[in-house]
Amino acid sequence: MTRARGRAGRAGRAAIVMFAAMVLAVSPAGHLAAQDSQFGIRGLGTPGKWESVRARSAGGAFAPFDAFSALTDASLIDARRLAGSITGAMSNRTVQANGSEAPLRGTRFPVFVVAGPLTRRIVVGAGFSTYLDRTFGIGLQDTIDIRGTPVPITDQVTSDGAVTDLRFSMAARVNRWIALGGGFHVLTGSTRVVATRTFGDTAYRSTTARAQVAYSGKAASVSALIDLTSGLRVSGWFRADSKLDADVLGKVVASNDLPNSYGTGVQWRLGSELTVAGTASWRDWTASAANGHNTFNWSFGTEFGQLGSGLRLGARGGQMPFGAGQTAPTEVGLSGGVGKQFSAGRGRIDFGVEHLERKGTGLNERVWTFLLGLTVRP
Amino acid sequence: MTRYFAFLLLLAGPVACTEVTSAPGDCPTFCPNGTIESKDTIFTDIIVRDSSYRGYIQGYQAEAMTAADIPGVIDSRAFFVTNKISTDTTSPLDSTTRVPYFADSVRLSLIMVRRDTLATNLRVKLYALPVTADSTSTFFSLQPYFAGPVVDSFSVGAILSQPAIHDTVGQRLYGDSVFWTDSAGHVITARDSGRTLNLIWHLDSLQAPLVAADSGRLAYGIRVAADSFATVAFSTLEAGGQPALIWYFHYTQPDTATSTPDTVVARVASRAAQFDSFVFDRAVQPLDSNLTVGGVPSARSLLRVDLPAYIRDSIDVVRATLILVPVAPVLGSPADSFELRALPVLADVGAKSPVTGVLTFKTIIHLNSADTVRMELTDLVRNWALDTTQTRSVMLGQVPEAASYPEIHFYSSRAPAFRPALHITYVKRYPFGTP
Repeated sequence: MTRARGRAGRAGRAAIVMFAAMVLAVSPAGHLAAQDSQFGIRGLGTPGKWESVRARSAGGAFAPFDAFSALTDASLIDARRLAGSITGAMSNRTVQANGSEAPLRGTRFPVFVVAGPLTRRIVVGAGFSTYLDRTFGIGLQDTIDIRGTPVPITDQVTSDGAVTDLRFSMAARVNRWIALGGGFHVLTGSTRVVATRTFGDTAYRSTTARAQVAYSGKAASVSALIDLTSGLRVSGWFRADSKLDADVLGKVVASNDLPNSYGTGVQWRLGSELTVAGTASWRDWTASAANGHNTFNWSFGTEFGQLGSGLRLGARGGQMPFGAGQTAPTEVGLSGGVGKQFSAGRGRIDFGVEHLERKGTGLNERVWTFLLGLTVRP
Repeated sequence: MTRYFAFLLLLAGPVACTEVTSAPGDCPTFCPNGTIESKDTIFTDIIVRDSSYRGYIQGYQAEAMTAADIPGVIDSRAFFVTNKISTDTTSPLDSTTRVPYFADSVRLSLIMVRRDTLATNLRVKLYALPVTADSTSTFFSLQPYFAGPVVDSFSVGAILSQPAIHDTVGQRLYGDSVFWTDSAGHVITARDSGRTLNLIWHLDSLQAPLVAADSGRLAYGIRVAADSFATVAFSTLEAGGQPALIWYFHYTQPDTATSTPDTVVARVASRAAQFDSFVFDRAVQPLDSNLTVGGVPSARSLLRVDLPAYIRDSIDVVRATLILVPVAPVLGSPADSFELRALPVLADVGAKSPVTGVLTFKTIIHLNSADTVRMELTDLVRNWALDTTQTRSVMLGQVPEAASYPEIHFYSSRAPAFRPALHITYVKRYPFGTP
């Protein structure tokens, strides 16, 4: 008994060390984005997925019911003890445009959530997640006419950073079957943008412009979690965002509307070893940018085994907010993953893999994302 | 198990965090709204308060002296005066008796640093001048001496057309084991892949007399001739390659104590030119409202640039070209084309403005051409745009200065239609922050 308790204690400390290492790895780098997309370059960016590895491995279907996904606030009510969770994602993306393919790679830490009960009926939480990813780089070769002579040029524009959603939220159990949540969001973050033009004629000097663009905004969210039966849960959420201000050297250079978003989801526990869930969500990006679209996204997923510690499979589909043409680019994907609890339930490690296909006018993307999540209850 | 996971994470971290985020752009559909935009403008009124000044370098201070004979254009002649040499010595028998030196021969060498290699039958002619020739000498004051008999001459082309002689004795005598010579004893050695020639004369005592009244000094003038466009330049004292000669002389040491004959003592002495210069048949033009660069004494032009504020604040200069319109072509031999150099001014105090050699900009002025002159000033204008404390003025000068006759005249800001201009290609500020 004592030996077992000691082993659990050592394992708990190891879990805390791992968790701290991951948090330290995230903080200085400031890379908090999900896998980005070329569709977001001519727009505000690529919206992040506010999902833990568990939820994302199931296509995102468990996100409205998962305390460690940043989608809804009411789901925090399931955090019965102080706990934290972080998600890491390494994506390999293939971009097909203009008849050519380009392989891209990126590593991100899109979601971090800490939550714990304040009272028996109230749980508070905080964390950050990627709101809009703005990491991209494009290279362009062309020939322009300068001084009456064609001059080859090479342009390179890189942007590194993201708009991060810093969330402070609370969930309260109103009665046995309903929980309500609300959150206040601060949108912050920055991108380091470098624009370089190199001329093929050495008589022209290369030009490089650098700037750090800081972003700011606010948002509020409300959500509800209703237990219709012991196995059937329904969730609904609404979120309103302010304008997103872009600031360069203390001067606001752009202010763009951000969308309202709302959605609903249902989770059904079919016994102790099988859970299925599905979600639908809507966002209106038409006022945000000239090429913005309304988006509808859905997901469906299942988890075999014990809740939070089993095999997950899922599918998702829907639209991307920014793209050329009259119709929004589409995104469909399949995902799967496993979770494993350790240290007598004090920690859980989740692995997942996700494949996405994005199609739009003039551009296709294939994305493989490998997910790693760590949840710790100290 | 958990410990192994932790180690795995730490090891995998650096590998996983490598990123490749750049892809070929499909613009404008999948590129940022903001683009890198290049613009091109000729600023015709940006150069103001431009002036010319003369008298920086005199002909006798130049790094070269030009000899040229282009009928109807220029007749330029080089000359030099050598250092003194003793003309006698003390008798070993009687300290009051002087024993005179007798010159046997002189080996004279000149370094020809520039010549038109296309000129055929290039001949170099040596004339005797009075040793009083100096900085006040003019073309016309020396003309009677150049009209006199030629001391010696030889054809450079004829000698160079002979097979080269490879003889190690040449290393000792002429400084090179490969040399060319003719039957009269003229010798040429070549340096710098044949661009620089060392001309060596062997003069006898009549051609190079040792005159006590002149303290052993000699003065010679040099003219050149060719089938067309005869123009050459010789190195000078200022360049460290002045004309030099070696005296070969003897004296008789009397021997009255024995019945043996007097002893003849042979000696050798080297002397270099103490003064060298050149003169030509073109009068110095007074400065007018145009911009003048070059000539003898050398002229420079100071251009002041009134850079618009938006160039300093809002754009990135990628190319800047100074445009100068010549008043007329510079006449002369094509081989006398020269370098026009622009030097940034450290502090603008007019004619005596100190210049910096850290950044230099240059272009070649081709003679007999009326083409507009363009000089790249990109780095300088970029500096001006980035550092507003810098003096935005530039001094135009000839390189090397005062070493030859050509001078160029450009229209100044007083001539609105042809005034100097700055052609600037720039990139507008990138619109950061716009989606």
